[in-house]
Amino acid sequence: MFDPIFELRQVTQRFGQFTALSDLNLHIASGERVALVGSSGAGKSTLLRLLNGTLLPTQGEIWALGQPLNRLSAAKLRRVQCQVGTVYQQFHLVNNLAVVHNVNAGHLGKWSFWKAVLSLIYPQELEAAAKALYRVGIPEKLFERTDSLSGGQQQRVAIARVLVQDPIAILADEPVASLDPQLSREIMDLLCGLAIADGKTLVVSIHSIELAKSHFDRIIGLRAGQVFFDLPAAQVSNSLTSSLYQR
Amino acid sequence: MASRSVPRPSLWTTRTQWFLLMLGAIGCSVFTAGFQQDWLNLQGLPQLGQFFRASLHPDLSPAFLQLTWNASLVTLAFAVCGTFLSVILGLVGGVLISEVWWQSVFPRWAAGRFSGQGLRSILSVPRAIHELIWGLFFVNLFGLDPLVGIVAIVVPYSAIVSKVFSELLDETPREPLNALLNSGVPPLTALLYTLFPQAALDLISYSFYRFECSLRSAAVLGIIGAGGLGYQIMLSLQSLRYEQLWTLFYALILLNSLVDLTSALLRHRLGAPTRLDLNLRRGVRQSPQSSPLLFWRGKLQHSLTLAGLGAIVLIPFCFWYVGADYSKLWSPRTLTLLAEVGQAAFPPNFQLAQLPELIRLCLETIAMSVLAITLAGLGGILLSFPAAHNIFLPGGLLQPFKTGWFSQGAGWLLLIGSRLLLLLFRSIPAPIWALVCLFVLFPGVLPGAIALGIHNWGILGRLMAEVNENLDQRPIVALKAQGTPAALLFLYGILPLTFTRFLAYILYRWEVCTRETVIVGLVGAGGLGRLVSEQLSSFSYSSLIVTLSGFVVITFGVDWISRIARRLLRGSP
Repeated sequence: MFDPIFELRQVTQRFGQFTALSDLNLHIASGERVALVGSSGAGKSTLLRLLNGTLLPTQGEIWALGQPLNRLSAAKLRRVQCQVGTVYQQFHLVNNLAVVHNVNAGHLGKWSFWKAVLSLIYPQELEAAAKALYRVGIPEKLFERTDSLSGGQQQRVAIARVLVQDPIAILADEPVASLDPQLSREIMDLLCGLAIADGKTLVVSIHSIELAKSHFDRIIGLRAGQVFFDLPAAQVSNSLTSSLYQR
Repeated sequence: MASRSVPRPSLWTTRTQWFLLMLGAIGCSVFTAGFQQDWLNLQGLPQLGQFFRASLHPDLSPAFLQLTWNASLVTLAFAVCGTFLSVILGLVGGVLISEVWWQSVFPRWAAGRFSGQGLRSILSVPRAIHELIWGLFFVNLFGLDPLVGIVAIVVPYSAIVSKVFSELLDETPREPLNALLNSGVPPLTALLYTLFPQAALDLISYSFYRFECSLRSAAVLGIIGAGGLGYQIMLSLQSLRYEQLWTLFYALILLNSLVDLTSALLRHRLGAPTRLDLNLRRGVRQSPQSSPLLFWRGKLQHSLTLAGLGAIVLIPFCFWYVGADYSKLWSPRTLTLLAEVGQAAFPPNFQLAQLPELIRLCLETIAMSVLAITLAGLGGILLSFPAAHNIFLPGGLLQPFKTGWFSQGAGWLLLIGSRLLLLLFRSIPAPIWALVCLFVLFPGVLPGAIALGIHNWGILGRLMAEVNENLDQRPIVALKAQGTPAALLFLYGILPLTFTRFLAYILYRWEVCTRETVIVGLVGAGGLGRLVSEQLSSFSYSSLIVTLSGFVVITFGVDWISRIARRLLRGSP
């Protein structure tokens, strides 16, 4: 296993004039479950995009799975990305495909071109897809059109896609921000349960401190692009979190 | 636990049936095109070579450039006047055939609804007949007057604009209107204060789109003698002066690109929906996305004011420049001629013996339109990806996160190259492409289909590139983040999101293609078009009515099939 699985060394990220992250140092160990908290614009999404390699830092180095992301060739970067799965707030599914194709999209890093083409006509590895949907609790939706599903069900499809991808680490960017409290709890239970069962590293940005405390080992508070606190979940006090959100 | 073997849904779905039906239609069309006889004429190859070589040295003598400039102005003026009048008439017609108007005027009177529907079906006839046929008809009435160019655009276009405007009005939320009506405001005033401002963006956006179309129509109308670039192109082609021909082509391309660009910029600044959304009537507002090209668009802050000023100057200028003899519209001579046409046309000259021939020509026409739209659709899809600015450019969807200078250059080259090619394809009128095809092909369905195909390829490619640029990028970025290679990204991300919209566009364009078969028929390609032009030039109106009815029936049939298929597309997975 890789240890640490993610490492940031003096990372600064600017978008034009705006500094999203400044001089960030961070280690995340294999198998950890980490919650990122902080107000909107604190840099949570930027950090996750750096971790999955869809953004390269303005300064500093990102190491993921023992590889320096900003120095890899496109092909090697893709190989690392196959091992990092991401779940998004807006689900990011291809709406007009059937659920089975969206779930099978998790295989695309490994499948050959022709297998992928064939699968669009005659779905391949159907058992794996069905099993993943069964684990997220919607086995009956396999052949439905994705946009006919409710928000909570679509997020389950997105999680099933990550299950099929079977990565070493799972990142989630506000996975429950579009859902009601009851559904949020269910989805978080699901995500953490799966991570524990398969021994995966989980990094989730989340707005609800309550959910962060109940579901994660470690909480990192970001404020204005810097680490405000980085503590085991049990040690995060109410006064600490209220000062995190102060302007 | 899930069962071992998961039950699969049947592959025999409505979608599969339609797919097979489509393949069958294309197969039959290829058969009808007559590949079994001699179709290739290799003797024309040297001439074709001459034609293309001339593109490198167009005639740039001052005298000819002056002529080209004047001809371009005439074509532009036709388009401006035609659009202006048809938008005004379309606004009136659109209100008159909309459901909402009759419901507001006669809320409790069922006859109101019927009068709307009646007007609607009357207007569908001028719409089904191509502007070129109207042009030939008006040449018979007015002689070779610039008036022909304008009126031939106005008649079918105002019917089209009326239909689209009425649908836009009918789909605008009615609560504000009803609130005013219930408080006793007269219907027209209420409409002016509610539905019109609400639908204004869509109405303006569609008018600009019509302007692009009417520029192409103006070029085609030139060919039958209305004047302008089309007329000069025809003269140069007939006298085999290819150098002059290319000068005129370049002028036409320049004019088209200017109009397309202005229209695209303005629609973008208005935040107006794409044309697909207008045509399919989904009121989705697209949010602008960041890209290298949009950066330049952002610089044009005052473009709207400029466009307004431009229109105020341009429209009167164009009416003056055309110098049409408008009195001909109501002169006694026109009325007498019109009465004569009426007498000659009725009763229609229909003989049962003609029926097999008529059916054969109808089938030829359908085959031509199917082949043309197949070529245009496949080609359009192919070029739409390099022509979109969010796919292969640096930072594009199919580029890795880091790009070297080589692939950056290649991306820009692809973009510019494919856009220029599409521009060339759509700027040159279809009859001219047909004449070029006739260098190496024997007359028949095939050259007509290829010519129509090339012209529509240019139009579809551009529309599809716009679809690509308005793509929802999030699912694709998600796939990219998990390390999906570019080819699969395309297959699982881009294509599923765009393909149904492509098909919808192809189906919509197929209707237009069917109408346009007439204009290539004019230069000797097969189908009903040739018969129509023969009958028009020999003034045999009683037979013409029969042929045109056949044509209208085909157009309605195609319209109907295309509508069912598009409805299916919206629903099925």
